[in-house]
This record gives sequence, structure tokens and C-alpha cells, in this order.
Amino acid sequence: MAVRSRLALLTSLGSPRRGRRSLSLFSGPSPSGWSKVVSDAEKIVGYPTSFMSLRCLLSDELSNVAMHVRKLVGTKHPLLNTARGFVYDSKHNLQMRGLVVLLMSKAAGRSESASGALLPDMISGIYPSQRSLAEITELIHTAFLVHRGIVNLKEWTFSDGPLKDMQFGNKMAVLSGDFLLANACTGLAQLNNTKVVELISSAIGDLVQGVYYENSNSNSAEGKLSMASWEDQAFLSHGALLAKSCQAAMELARHDAEAQTLAYEYGKHLALAHKLNLDLQPFMKSGSDPVVFSLDSAPAVFHRLIVGHEIWTRQLQQAQISTPQTDYSKLWSGIRSGGGVKQAVDLCTEHGNTALEAIRRFPPSEARSALENIAGAVARF
Amino acid sequence: MAEQWRRCWRGRGAVTGVIDAVWGVNRRPVTAGERRTGERGTGERGTGAGGLVKEVLLPVRHTHNPVRSSAFTRYRSGVLYPTAARTCSCRRVHSDAKLKDPFSLAQEDLKNLYEDIKKQLLVSKAELKALCDYYFDGKGKALRPMIVVLMARACNVHSNRDGHLLPAQRSIAMISEMIHTASLVHDDVIDGADMRRGKTTINEVWGERKAILAGDFILSAASMALARIGNTTVVSVLSQVIEDLVRGEFMQLGSKENENERFKHYLEKTFKKTASLIANSCKAVSILVNPDPEVHEIAYQYGRNVGIAFQLVDDVLDFTSCANQLGKPSAADLRLGLATGPVLFACQQFPELHAMIMRRFGSDGDVDRAWRYVLESDGVEQTSFLAQRYCHEATRQISRLQPSPERDALIRLTELVLNRDK
Repeated sequence: MAVRSRLALLTSLGSPRRGRRSLSLFSGPSPSGWSKVVSDAEKIVGYPTSFMSLRCLLSDELSNVAMHVRKLVGTKHPLLNTARGFVYDSKHNLQMRGLVVLLMSKAAGRSESASGALLPDMISGIYPSQRSLAEITELIHTAFLVHRGIVNLKEWTFSDGPLKDMQFGNKMAVLSGDFLLANACTGLAQLNNTKVVELISSAIGDLVQGVYYENSNSNSAEGKLSMASWEDQAFLSHGALLAKSCQAAMELARHDAEAQTLAYEYGKHLALAHKLNLDLQPFMKSGSDPVVFSLDSAPAVFHRLIVGHEIWTRQLQQAQISTPQTDYSKLWSGIRSGGGVKQAVDLCTEHGNTALEAIRRFPPSEARSALENIAGAVARF
Repeated sequence: MAEQWRRCWRGRGAVTGVIDAVWGVNRRPVTAGERRTGERGTGERGTGAGGLVKEVLLPVRHTHNPVRSSAFTRYRSGVLYPTAARTCSCRRVHSDAKLKDPFSLAQEDLKNLYEDIKKQLLVSKAELKALCDYYFDGKGKALRPMIVVLMARACNVHSNRDGHLLPAQRSIAMISEMIHTASLVHDDVIDGADMRRGKTTINEVWGERKAILAGDFILSAASMALARIGNTTVVSVLSQVIEDLVRGEFMQLGSKENENERFKHYLEKTFKKTASLIANSCKAVSILVNPDPEVHEIAYQYGRNVGIAFQLVDDVLDFTSCANQLGKPSAADLRLGLATGPVLFACQQFPELHAMIMRRFGSDGDVDRAWRYVLESDGVEQTSFLAQRYCHEATRQISRLQPSPERDALIRLTELVLNRDK
């Protein structure tokens, strides 16, 4: 009963006020093909639902938050959108990283080494510790979605609605993000493998650094902008967690250093290809609908590198002086017809292929095929 | 009994005097009529204040009273001596040189603590690095690392080794301070605080978004350092702390309607938010040197009891300390809507407080009214008394270890915890 009412509470958050659904994560590639890839993959790993996330979602603490967050309905605090995402996108997006970790675990299979003999039984070809790890990966990812949505109160303006709503939203966002992270910490400790604890903790550190400098490229006028620095940045904010989780899954099954490296490579390059795919979406649509895109997205950054700082600044100014509001549509078509998009597509394909190469070093299996399909789907346009 | 007491010193602004009486230690220069500092409450030792929340909760009204009356009547005359009173007890005198000073004893091991912590915070970009280093400027009290170091050395001696700190134990000292700082950074965002330790808070300078990320980063660095110790039990013990910190923060969001439940809630919150870190850090350093679960329990119980006492005193200081002394305005807790020990005790005498507690002092004038009720009640002294009981229990626990200068310093520390004024 309690469970049901809490779920109802959470679902009520997702009341379909059309907000920006910009939190969609792994939703880039053509929806139908993608769904099939995902649902096929989910069948392979047994049960896809993340029990740890569910536990957190149903805990007293988070249902408490959910109750409070309801008060935010009608305000503009980003936590509201994130909370909607919990419900709406949980199936196809939030669980994606966990799914990749599970598939990777299954693809690698049982370890040949002597110490592997001490491991408990597998369920659907995956060790229980690896399942926990997959859930922890999701928890961390979700925690940062929540912490990303904290707003700076000094930047508050009247158009944001009452200040106290923003303060309250922040409070809830800090607490629920911390709660998820704390659960990830205790979950990690229960894996009884300090190497994995260290690896995943370092991924959290990477994620912080990546998120910290998100959106800072466009501010630092010239900066040290290059394709390489874009990739470093994208690795921290989007790749490190998946790469290190894949590696940790190998460690938990006592696979050797080579398997760990391959798993890491797959996770890293898949995540980068995915990030590029995501960034490219606004430039792939035909027609002249108003499109939202980030000035830090790969095509924009690469475009800026191609045209040079001077022209970029001029194009940016043109967009900003247009009335009554900033109009980026010209900039958008400029980028779309320029070389930035092609560069981003090429880079995406390259990362997709590197991921494929890594996964193909594992013995053939349906889990491996699923990972190949995912890499393929991410780099297809 | 309480009524009689209130009459005795009400309106004379003797709050600090009463606290002194309860603590029985000289906070002021001793005057002729006050030479009774050594003979502090004899009967209470070993009554096991620490056992469990429940155990503490119930005696407050019943078994406490006989003890309390004797403790107080003895000091009644002392209370009447005029002091600078109501304002603040900004002066204090240290005496009692018999026991080793905990600070100097731990100093050697803590020498480069902050430098070493900063080395753990590996960040490539300068701004984030500055945020992460911000509170590790050597100006904090480093209370937690000090307790951890002393406990480690006491446990080492107890385990028939020399006192020297093991590298892993020093890491725990470092990690305890890192976890503490990370939680402070987040707390300041949650509370909208703009000052901390006499400095502008991170959220005030760099904004909330970056403050949260800095806290997350410090936590991840602490977690990495913890993993590198390579002991899975120790990892579990300290991960529990992180969970407790968050759960404690959640508990602070709500309050209970029922009076007894409310007190239990308060003590549980206090354990989670403050004592868990100290208790589990102490446990961790004992695990690293001694396999005996009984030793782990001693270390844990010492930390737990000292931790709760520390917070109780903190809650008292929120009512009695000068604004500038604590580094935050007084009655800060009330302003945040929090009902701490003094208020909860006061509510037993002034039921009017109940409604204010339930609305989190949100109506106009609530904070001032509650403040006055608290000072008129014996909430402050009862809270101090409770803190004292926890300290006695801490002392009782740690006394089970083999004697060592560090063990005795930990005993001395319980007094310092009770007598601190900031």
C-alpha cells in the first residue's frame, strides 16, 4: 500500500505540463530502432530494473522529497524537470548506463583465473556484485543530474518566480542528490573490493570536474579551445563514469588487466560517441523549426574552431542584437551548413568504431552482439 | 522542583553562572565563594548515560531529578555571586595541568594535516582547486582529526605496540576532516549560510552550483583515500558515516508531534549529523590495529558519546554565546526553524513552545519569544547536564583501555568539550 501511494506520488510529479525535456539522455538515435536495440539488450541481462534505484525511490527520505517537490510545481526550479525525468525517462534513459555495465559483465563471462573460483554463482551470466555495480552507476549518474539542477540564487531575477521557491528547490536538490550519492557509497562499500571503490570514487571526481566546467567554454572568450580539449571535457562529464564502471565490472569478476582495459575503452568511446550524437541532434533536423542548441555542443565548438574567433564573435553578436530576443536561428543554419557538423559526425563514427573494436576482442555472445548494436546505433545518423 | 529553581535565578541573567555550576568547572576567575570546582558531580559517573537514546530520554525527568537537585543546590549560593552575567562568558581560564593537553599531544601527528589533505584534492583547473582548498586553511579546530589521532595512539598502546600512528590511521584522521568539511559545504547551501569560521562561505562567493560540486569533489577524494587504505571493513565503517550525515539532514527537515518522540528524534539526528563521524572514525582506527571487537566498541562508544555531547554543547552555545564568538549569529538554529535541546527541554515547562516548534518558529516574533522562553526555563542547564552525562559515559568507556597519555588526554578532552565557549 505504502509502496503504491509513493509511486503515485512520484508519478503525480510528472503531470504533463509540457516542460523542456532536455534531460533526455540516451535518446538520440532514431527512436524506433533505438528502442529495439535497448529492449533486445534488456532481455539478455535478465531483469533490467534497477532495484537499488527503486529502493532509493521508495525510501522515506525520497518520498519526503517527492512530497516537498510537489510544492515546486508551477515554479521554474530545474529539480522539477529532473524529478519528472525520474518517472518519464526511467525506462529508456536513466537505466542505460546500468544496462551497458550488465551487458559488459555478461559478455566477459566467467573468469579463468584461480581467484575467480571463489566468486558466488552467476544469475543470467552476471555476478550479483556486478548487478549492484550497475545500480550504483545509475545512482551516481542520477545524483549528478540532480546536483546539476542547482541554481545560483544570486543570479535570480523576478522572472524566475519567488526567490523562496528557488531556495527551497535548491535545498531539496542538494539533499536528494546527496542521498543518492550516499547510497552509492554504501553500495560500493558492500562490494568488498577497495580497488572498485577507488575506481568509482575517481569517476565521481571526474564527473565533478566535468560538470564544473560545463558551459564555461562559451564564457571564456578565447580559452584553450581545441577539439582535444573538447574531448577531454566530454570524457570527464560523460565518459568517465561509464568507462570506469565497465572496468570495475571486469575487476569484480577477477578478469585480467587486458579485459579491464578493453571494457574501459568500450565504455569511454561509446559514451563519447553518444555525447557527439546528442550534440548533433539539433543540427540533424530538417526544416526551419526553432531549435535549441548549446554553444558548447560539439558542432558549435568545431564550427568556431573552423571559422576562427573573429568571425565567430561577429556571428554571435549578430544573433544577440536581434530583437526582441536573442535569435540563434541564423547562427544555427550557419553552423549546420558549415564544416563543424561534418567534423562532429566523423568524430562520432570514429569513437563508435573504436568502441566496436574493443568489444569485438571479447568472445562472441548475444551480450557482445547487443553491445555492438548499441555502439552501431549511437554512431548511425 | 524546576519551578523553584527558575525562581531562584530568573531575571538575574545568571544563565552562564548556572552553566558553570552544572559543568562544575571554572570558566571565570574563581572567587572566594566558588572554590568547588574539583568536586564535580560524583554520583553520576557510571550511570550509563550513553546506553541508548531511550535510556537517556527517560531519566531526564525521573532519575535525573535527584541527581540534579543535589548538583544544583550545592551550587545555589555560587550562582548568586554576581558576574558579568547575561552578556557572554568570553573569558575563561584553564587550570588543571595534571592531565596532558590533548592539543599538544596530537600536534606532532597533525602537523601537516591540511597540506596532506590538499594533496589529495587533485584538480587540474585552478578555480575548482581554490574552492576545494578553501576551508583547509589551517584555521579550523581540527577537532575530529585530533580525537582520531589520540584514539589511534591509545588503541595502539592498548594493543601492546608503541603509540606511533600507523599511516592508515593518519589517513583516517585526514578523511574524517574531509568528510566533515564536505558536509559543511553542503550544509551551508542548505541553510543559506553566508559565514563559516569567520570566512565568507563558498556558496556566498562562488554560488550554490559550484559549492555543491566542491563538496562532492572533496567527498570523492575522501572516498578514494579511504579505498587506498585497502581495508574493506574500514571502508564500510566510514561509508556508513556518509549515509548517516544525509539521513540526519533529512531528519532535520521534520519534527515530531509527540514530545517524547521529538526528543528521541533530536538525539538520533544529533548522532547521525555529528556523532556518527567521530564514532566511526574512532572505530576505524581501532580496527586497523586491533582485531578485538570489544576494543572497536570502546572506541566507537567513546566517539559516539563525545560526539553527542559536543553537539549538545553546540546547541547550548547557540543560546548563550556571543554572536561573534561562534562565527555565526546566536539563535541561528531557531532562525533556521530548528528546535534543539534547550528548546525541547523548555517546552516541558512552557507548553506554549509546542505550537512554535511545530511551525518551525515561522510566525512573526516566534524566534524572539522562543528565545525568551528558553532563557527563562532551565532548558539550557538541562541540555548542558545531558551533555555532561554523555561525557561521563565517554570517560567510562575509554577508561577500559590500558592507561596511556593519549587515553588520559581523551578523558581530558571530554572536559574541554563541555567547557568550550566556541
